[in-house]
Amino acid sequence: MSARSGFSAQTLAVLAALCAQPSQWRHGYALARQTGLKSGTLYPILIRLADRGLVEACWQDEPQPGRPRRHLYRLTTDGLAAVALAGAALAGAALADPAEPTARPGARTRRGVPARAVP
Amino acid sequence: MSRLSWVGAAARRGVAWLMPAGRRGWVEAVWAEAPEVPPGLRRLAWRAGGVRLIAGEALMRGRIGSALLFAAAAALAAWAAWPGSLASFATSVDRVDVITVVALLGGLALVARSVFGPPGSSRVARFLRVGAYGAILALIPAKNVVEQVLDVPPHGGIDLRLYRLISGPGFGNHWDSEILFLVVMALYAAALLWLTAQRSRVAPATLAIGAVGGTALGAVWYAIGPLGFGGAPATNPWLPGSDIDPLMVLAWILLFGTPVAAGILADRLYTASGSSVPPVGGRARQIVAAGLLTNLVGALFVTVSGTSTIAATLKAAWLRNWLYHGHLLSGVAGLRLLLRGDPGALTYSHEITAAVDAPPFLIICVVFPLIALALTGLGALSLWGNAATGQGGPPSGGGGPAGPEAVLTLGNLPRGG
Repeated sequence: MSARSGFSAQTLAVLAALCAQPSQWRHGYALARQTGLKSGTLYPILIRLADRGLVEACWQDEPQPGRPRRHLYRLTTDGLAAVALAGAALAGAALADPAEPTARPGARTRRGVPARAVP
Repeated sequence: MSRLSWVGAAARRGVAWLMPAGRRGWVEAVWAEAPEVPPGLRRLAWRAGGVRLIAGEALMRGRIGSALLFAAAAALAAWAAWPGSLASFATSVDRVDVITVVALLGGLALVARSVFGPPGSSRVARFLRVGAYGAILALIPAKNVVEQVLDVPPHGGIDLRLYRLISGPGFGNHWDSEILFLVVMALYAAALLWLTAQRSRVAPATLAIGAVGGTALGAVWYAIGPLGFGGAPATNPWLPGSDIDPLMVLAWILLFGTPVAAGILADRLYTASGSSVPPVGGRARQIVAAGLLTNLVGALFVTVSGTSTIAATLKAAWLRNWLYHGHLLSGVAGLRLLLRGDPGALTYSHEITAAVDAPPFLIICVVFPLIALALTGLGALSLWGNAATGQGGPPSGGGGPAGPEAVLTLGNLPRGG
């Protein structure tokens, strides 16, 4: 499945989490909680997505007192298009092979990724 | 900020140096989220993810691998070169050598990345960097063995002690020569880091020509002076030896001919590699780089091989006795007169004769690259001259196929006020 959409199950989960509110900037920890990914998995995915221009990142302008500035993420236009394509691929794959679920359940449950990886 | 936090932040910044420049902010991003994570194991796991991120990103670029390889080689060199007791001048010199060379090589590698850019991606560039660093590190233990002998008091009779007194305290251990040695090694490392960096725009074929030509040059010079270039006859010890020995003549021809030939070949290959005629600046760069690299590699090869051979003769008595027969003991003037059959004096004379022939390698390290620079510099100047008079390629500076050229288009023209 992930090979057909071009993204791994974890990457799809991150894209899905970002796509839920595409205009909003999201924190890394919030994404980690939403996707169930650990920081060592989440951040390399964010780095690759940013390298490919699918995610944009920036530093918080006004940090909370006594806290360091946080990094914020959201999908770019290309990212939104990629999610739409991935969603179409997922949907197409599900139609072509009804026996196969939308994503590998084992991989998702292991990572704690929500059942609907791509909205 | 508490002292512990400050130390933690400093350590994090230091470790982040292992990552490529564009990735360092991501480490900060992981750490900045840590206060949001509930304390305890979950926060620890979050930070562990940051460490994993650093390791993954750095390993992907091979930087941790290179750092570990260098650390292992430096530790091995230090272990082999570290002298026993702080009893002599040579011992303190040797310790300074070990510490300074390791610090220089490590520091230059870090500085080179920001000044010269990342290392070239070709296999020959990596091979040259590893080879040069390995050679310089291998030179330190060998040099220290020689210096310990040069500084040791003679074990022979009163005549030798008198000879020693006349000759002065040590034959080669002086701070000025040590400083010169360290400066030369730093320049060698810097030159090789520059030539093998992406920003230098030296073509991989040019690097390969320099590496092969330099190895051949070094091998011939090692053949004529495996035990150094002091007062012992040329082609010592396995050939009768004279200044007009065919091998000796070949060595001199190669010293001047190899950098020129390497420059010409590098220019031909560089010109043939592109579909259009490359700019003169790029061609001149390949000529000078090939010639300089040839003599740098040659000098380093003969210095490391020769000094290591001398160190081996000093450590292994059977090898020394085999190589140094009576007729070769003229290395130190007047020494033979003082021997008079004393076995202890004979051993000392063999050791000191072997050791005094090592310092001239430093002269080779200085002279070889200067010859190459002079010859290939003239070649590059004549190329520019031909271009200016319309006999050569297009008269412009810049690079060529080895690296991306800066292209000024309407899109990136600076906007005036």
